Amino acid sequence: MKNIIGSFFFLFLLSGCAPQPLFYWGDYSETLYDYKKSPDEKTLDAHMKSLQDIFDQSAKLNKRVPPGACAEYGYLLIKEGKDQDGLMYLDKEQALYPESAVFIQRIKDEMQRGKK
Amino acid sequence: MKKLFVLSVTVMAIAFVGCNPQITKQEFAPKMYSEHPLSIVVLPPINNSTAADAKEYYTTTIAEPLTNCGYYVFPLEVVNDILKQEGLFDTETMMNVPVQKFREFFGADAVLFVTIEKWNTSYLITSGSVTVTIRCELKSTVTGEVLWFYDDTVTVDTSGDSGGAGGWAGLIAKAVTTAIKTAATQYVPLARKANEKILLAIPYGKYHGSYNADGQMKIEKKTNPDKK
Repeated sequence: MKNIIGSFFFLFLLSGCAPQPLFYWGDYSETLYDYKKSPDEKTLDAHMKSLQDIFDQSAKLNKRVPPGACAEYGYLLIKEGKDQDGLMYLDKEQALYPESAVFIQRIKDEMQRGKK
Repeated sequence: MKKLFVLSVTVMAIAFVGCNPQITKQEFAPKMYSEHPLSIVVLPPINNSTAADAKEYYTTTIAEPLTNCGYYVFPLEVVNDILKQEGLFDTETMMNVPVQKFREFFGADAVLFVTIEKWNTSYLITSGSVTVTIRCELKSTVTGEVLWFYDDTVTVDTSGDSGGAGGWAGLIAKAVTTAIKTAATQYVPLARKANEKILLAIPYGKYHGSYNADGQMKIEKKTNPDKK
């Protein structure tokens, strides 16, 4: 019996890139694709909702928010003119993933430049 | 019982090894284990296929599997805008930019170059399929060297279900279903499938539980045509 359990465990080990994914991405790919294919208010709104869903579900599942999600959300908010909220998400990205520092600074610089 | 176990392991080993030459991840991509890249910027792919839309299908699906392998991946939409600000509009131009520049632009440790070699839709009377071939190359922004590369092909069967009706009517009905199904194949899941298959061969990154512990994992050996 133990051996059978053992062989199942072996199979589990072999089954590749983490059977339980590290991050929750929800419908991200689908809504981003729709937005890219026909960029309008409706598809943008749907994509932002799926990012929001990533934040909610990640918290619920006790997972870390996936890399880039906060940065993308913040960037989209800034594009909509919601600078304060946008900056909050950019800072969140950098706090979660310090390796994003150069990138986040770059978005902030662009934002300042856009205002002048 | 012991015999059963040995037998099942042997069968599995044969199934996994197949006929293709195998190699460990460590042997295949030693620089991944010495340089430990963490953050990856994915450039818009080069599309050598005949499907004009393939680029879009592809880029929206790469972040998910790549992050799940333990890497920090810069959000592609934001990356695209920044590249445009740098005057880089198409991938062909980006190929000529020294890789080190991407460290300057984004703070990235590595750049992933993707080529869509094939995105073929084919259907005969009763069977249809979509075949996708993708090639990836990860380059260091420190040394400019290739850290990892891989290519793979995924084929998805889009044949119509075998209906009850026989004879000519049944055959025609089946042909119609196949054509419709092949044309309407969900491209996002297909691109996702191709990505996931290729990324099985990438050594895990820092956020993955098996980071630095997968060096002995066997993968199918590939040769990089770009490497001189």
